Amino acid sequence: MEFRQTQLDNGLTVVCEINPEAASMAMGFFVRTGSRDETPEVAGVSHFLEHMMFKGTDKRSAAEVNLAFDRLGAQYNASTSEENTIYYGAVLPEFQADLLDVLGDMMRPALRGGDFDMEKNVIIDEIARYEDMPSFKVFEKLMAVHFAGHPLANSVLGTTESITALRREQMQTYFDQQYSPGNVTLVGVGALDFDAFVAQAKRLCGSWRPFDVHRRRPPCRGSGATKVIADPKVVRQHVAMMSAAPPGDDEDRFAAQLAATVFGDVTGSRLYYALVDPALVDEAHCSYEAMDATGAFITTLSCDPERARQVVDVTLAEMAAFVKDGPTPGEMDAARNKLASIITVKGEVPMGRLVSVGLEWVYRRDYIPMGEQIDRLFGATLEQVRDVLARYDLRAVSTTALGPLETL
Amino acid sequence: MPEEFYREALPNGITLLGQRMEGVASAAMTFVARAGSAYDPAAMAGAATVASEWCLRGAGSRDTRALNDALDALGCQHHEGVQSEHIQFSCVQLGRNLAAVMRLYADILRRPTLADNTFDPCRDLIAQDLVGLEDEPARHCNILLRERFFPWPLGRNPYGQSEALQAMTAGALREHLRGHLSPGGAILAVAGEVDWNAFRDLAGGLLGDWKAPSGAPPKTTPGHTGTTHMTKDSAQTHIGLAHKAVPAGDDRYYAAHMAQMVLSGGMSSRLFSEVREKRGLAYHVSTRYYSLHDHAGFFTYAAAPPARAQETFDVTVGELVRLAEGITAEEMHRAVVQLKSALVMQGESTMARVNAMAADWYHTGRLRSLDEISRRIEQTRVEDVLAYLREFPAGDFTVLTLGPEALRTE
Repeated sequence: MEFRQTQLDNGLTVVCEINPEAASMAMGFFVRTGSRDETPEVAGVSHFLEHMMFKGTDKRSAAEVNLAFDRLGAQYNASTSEENTIYYGAVLPEFQADLLDVLGDMMRPALRGGDFDMEKNVIIDEIARYEDMPSFKVFEKLMAVHFAGHPLANSVLGTTESITALRREQMQTYFDQQYSPGNVTLVGVGALDFDAFVAQAKRLCGSWRPFDVHRRRPPCRGSGATKVIADPKVVRQHVAMMSAAPPGDDEDRFAAQLAATVFGDVTGSRLYYALVDPALVDEAHCSYEAMDATGAFITTLSCDPERARQVVDVTLAEMAAFVKDGPTPGEMDAARNKLASIITVKGEVPMGRLVSVGLEWVYRRDYIPMGEQIDRLFGATLEQVRDVLARYDLRAVSTTALGPLETL
Repeated sequence: MPEEFYREALPNGITLLGQRMEGVASAAMTFVARAGSAYDPAAMAGAATVASEWCLRGAGSRDTRALNDALDALGCQHHEGVQSEHIQFSCVQLGRNLAAVMRLYADILRRPTLADNTFDPCRDLIAQDLVGLEDEPARHCNILLRERFFPWPLGRNPYGQSEALQAMTAGALREHLRGHLSPGGAILAVAGEVDWNAFRDLAGGLLGDWKAPSGAPPKTTPGHTGTTHMTKDSAQTHIGLAHKAVPAGDDRYYAAHMAQMVLSGGMSSRLFSEVREKRGLAYHVSTRYYSLHDHAGFFTYAAAPPARAQETFDVTVGELVRLAEGITAEEMHRAVVQLKSALVMQGESTMARVNAMAADWYHTGRLRSLDEISRRIEQTRVEDVLAYLREFPAGDFTVLTLGPEALRTE
């Protein structure tokens, strides 16, 4: 396993973790942009743009982009979050150059008017798709409530209205600004030829024009507000809670991850025994989400509506007990072992490793080999977890509820 | 380097399967027994799924918490699932912990506590999952479609049925398990960082003397095919379509697989191009192949805004039917490369390998190397796929729609 990194003259960074033993390779363009970088007039543009990137370039039509990927047998996709837009693919090593050729080309899209109008329909249908998924919707509303007044409150999908009103020129302006080479990292992992990778990246991306990109990164501890959204069409009561946690570039993130695992992993956690084991809920989960200059502990629950109050009370009581006493040594060991196994399994396939290596670079300009990641996890002490819990009060939650109930 | 598989038949009917993979630290394990939801007695629909939950609530000398803690301390990520024909216990952990995990699984499989006081929560969880399907219309649509398409009760909803769950008792479920959760025809497969000889000896010692009667295969009646619409005030109309395909153990399986790839193998595939790319009708459309031992189908799912649902349905059916009219050499070539790449990438994941091995053994009674599958894919010609499509034409659809209004489906 070898790490190599370089930067093109225009600011685009290339980072690679090379593993000659792997049977495949994966690569991705990580663009440091998402809904948090949007103004209200262009709400949803990051995600809509992600779709438009597949719609062709000066060289290729939309159909030709799709064909180019499929001819390589690539597994490929893209994703947009509040903070990152990622275009990625995995192929057999012999197709490295072909995959970079299409991905690199795609990153300077034609954004044709006809495609733009057609794709609007697809985006609006995608918004409807999530409308039918309350477990997703309750989380989107929670982001809006917890981060009220902060850029992270912005919805990734936007609304039917904002997408309908969006013009092609607005998207072009957003693209020129945000897809500036200094805001983009090209990541490669697996069985890859680094020198060829960089040389080709220079040919494909070297002429991209840089722009100044600025991201607002105000600190945020969360509103602590509660919002209940009554929807008689929803059958279960979906509840989501969020509180502040260490930011993505903080060394405390390992302790935060352990804290979330002890408190709310899907098996064997505090929430599991308090809620799932007695079947008060069918789902209870707490995770730690590292973000740019902030972070969050996120707890999601789903239960019978009539039990919702009891479930929320039990959850808050568990939070209070956990903050007060911290984890036991046994819980710490279990959490470390579980996380080590998750990291190992994910890291054994290049596609899984790609995201770890890419986000590590985007958030921290750092590379951590998998073994060291596990070592750091094992190095985080019980005292550090207690310290994180003392500085980031798990009980200071913002809450949203979606379901039949008018009040919680 | 050719792949090396290991196999050992235990006298009680369990087949042990193994593959050692280089360059990985994890080991995945799966146990499948012929006690899936199709074996649930009519009055106990949901039994297998409740049982899959109940078996983890204490086993051997450990209560729920002690068992959970023991699995957690070994970094064991486990999953219990139920399909039509099988109840499945799967896990993945570091290879060095495999032996200790295997000892715990011997307790889970052979000595689950199945205490009265842990039964109600297990049953309630499954009852909640069943109700919760209402909040996941895409998944719900596909479960209901499968239920209607396959001969009853092979496609039955694994979460069962509300009244049956309410009426189910700990005693009745224990009795059912005694006659069904058995070693006969079961498969235990491991892949990854595995010392086969040690594993074989350990598993053989722990499971070899397990004796329990097997359940009789379920008697089937024809499925409730045709068109069903379920009215729901949803934002999208969810469309499920199923038609008959050849089972995975049949030699024509490769032709079926190629047909599925041409239809739905990537963004250049027929369905994606025609429904989403050219017409902007829907965000999602896809066809999946799913096989039981003796029955299989192509399951197509699309969801669209109600105003565009009819056109989405018509275009989708049109493409399914049109496939038999011809496939280009370029389409075949893409399908071959895609399938071969997918195979290699699947070969890197211990979990994917272990599932593929168990499925292979169940459907074909052998283990096919990636090389063999790859060769068979390459040997499949356009004529083979077209001949297959004449034998298994897209038609006689089982249709399930879920949304504000019914569609015209003739």
